[in-house]
Amino acid sequence: MLPQRREEKGVLKPLTYLKCLECGTVNSRPFRDGDYVFKEVEEKCPKCGANKMKIIGIYVKEAPKKPGQRTA
Amino acid sequence: MGMFGDVDGMLSFLQIAAQQDLISVVMSLIWIIFMMIFLFYPTFSQRLQLSYILRDLERRLHKLKLMRDEVRNRTLETLKKYSDKGVKVDEELDNLLLSFMITPESMDPYGIVYKLEHILRTWEDTFEEHVKMICKKADAELAKTLTNLVDVARGIDYLYRVVRHYYLLGKKTANMYVVLQIQMLMPQLMEIAEAYRQACYAFMHGQPIGDGVGVLAAEKLVENMEKKTYEIAKDTIVHETTLDGRKLYVLRAAGPGGSVGRPADGVLKILESEGDRVKAIIMIDAGLKLEGEETGKIVEGIGAAIGGIGVEKFKIEEASKKRNIPLYAFVIYQSIGEAITPMRESIAKAAEEVVEKVKKLITSKVEEGFSVIVAGIGNTVGIGLS
Repeated sequence: MLPQRREEKGVLKPLTYLKCLECGTVNSRPFRDGDYVFKEVEEKCPKCGANKMKIIGIYVKEAPKKPGQRTA
Repeated sequence: MGMFGDVDGMLSFLQIAAQQDLISVVMSLIWIIFMMIFLFYPTFSQRLQLSYILRDLERRLHKLKLMRDEVRNRTLETLKKYSDKGVKVDEELDNLLLSFMITPESMDPYGIVYKLEHILRTWEDTFEEHVKMICKKADAELAKTLTNLVDVARGIDYLYRVVRHYYLLGKKTANMYVVLQIQMLMPQLMEIAEAYRQACYAFMHGQPIGDGVGVLAAEKLVENMEKKTYEIAKDTIVHETTLDGRKLYVLRAAGPGGSVGRPADGVLKILESEGDRVKAIIMIDAGLKLEGEETGKIVEGIGAAIGGIGVEKFKIEEASKKRNIPLYAFVIYQSIGEAITPMRESIAKAAEEVVEKVKKLITSKVEEGFSVIVAGIGNTVGIGLS
C-alpha cells in the first residue's frame, strides 16, 4: 500500500454543488465517487427536507481575490 | 643603486610576509593552485558548471520519478479494481505506457490529414479496446475515463523518460550544452508533471477538469430546454432545440465518461442534413492563457476553437469554407495545469457567463428561421447530460 498522506499531499479536492429540485436551495458537500454534473441524486435538502437534488457543479472553491490581485 | 633598491624591496616584502599568519599563506597557495588549474586546464570551469547542473538535474529527475511512480501505482490500483483475476495488469499497463503512434510521411503532404486521421483513430480505438480488455468489470463510460487515466500515466512516463535521456546523455558525453537546455526547461516540465499528477486523481474519481468547460457551457445552454438528443458520431451527441425562432444544434462529447468525442464528424453530418440553412458555427473551448492573465476570462474570436493534433480543426475549417459559414469562437482562459486538473471555481462560473454571450451572438448574427451549430469542445469527464 502506498503512503497515503505523503502522496496525496496538495491534491485538489473539489466540492459538489447540489440544487434542491423543490425549493431551489443550493448547498455543497465534498465530492463523492459517482458524482457528475447534471446528475439527479436522492439526498435530503437541508432547507425543505425534499429528497431530490440535482448536481449543478463540481469544482474547486477558490479564495476570494483581493482588489487588484492577478492570478498567476 | 637600482640593484640595491631591489634587494631592499625584497627584504621588506619578506618582512611583511613573515608577519602574515599561516591562514593567509595557505589561502594564497590555494588561490595559486586554482589559477594554475584554470591556466593548464581551460575546460575546468565548464566541468565545474556541468557537475552543478547535473546535480540539480539529478535532484529534479528524482522528484519526477517519484511523481511518475505515484501516477503509475495509482493507475495500476484503479485498473486492478475493475479487472478479472488472472489478468497481468502490471504487464498490460507497461505495454500501454510504451505504446506509440507513427505519424504519416509528410514528404508528399497531399491528403496527409486523412492519413493522420486514419492512424489516429486506429490508435485511439486500439488503446481503448486494450483498456477495456484489462478492465472487463468497467462499464462503457468508466472504460473511457480509465482510458484517459492510462493516457495521463503514459504522458508523465514519457516525460520522465525524455528528461532521463537528456540527463544521461549529458552525463555520458560531458556535454554542458545538452544538460543546460533540459535544465532551462525543467521548471515548466515540473509544472506539467505536477498537472499530470493532479489529473491522475481527477480521472481516478471522474471529476470534471478545466478542459471540460466548453462541454459544460454547451450543456448549460440547453439545460431546461425542450430538446431532442441523439448520438451523431462516435462518443458525440447533439441536442436539437430552438432558440428565439432559430434552430439550434448543440454538439458535445457524450458524458459523464472521459471523452472528447468527434465534433468534426458531428458538424459535417449536421451540415449535410441542414445544408445552407446553417448560418453560423459557434465553438466554445478552453484556451491557454499567458502568464499574468486571469483564469476563467472569456475572450471572443473568429475561427475553429479546437485543440488536438489538427484533424478535427482542419475538417471543420474545410467544411465551413466550402459553405461560406462563419466560424465564431469563445475561449475560456486557463493554464495548461488548470486544463487537466479538477475544474476551478472561476472556470465553472465562466461556463455560465459564456452561455449568455452565445445566446446574444446567435440572436445578433443568425436570422429567425435559420440554423446554428454550437459545439462545446473538451473532455467530458464528470459532465453528464441535462
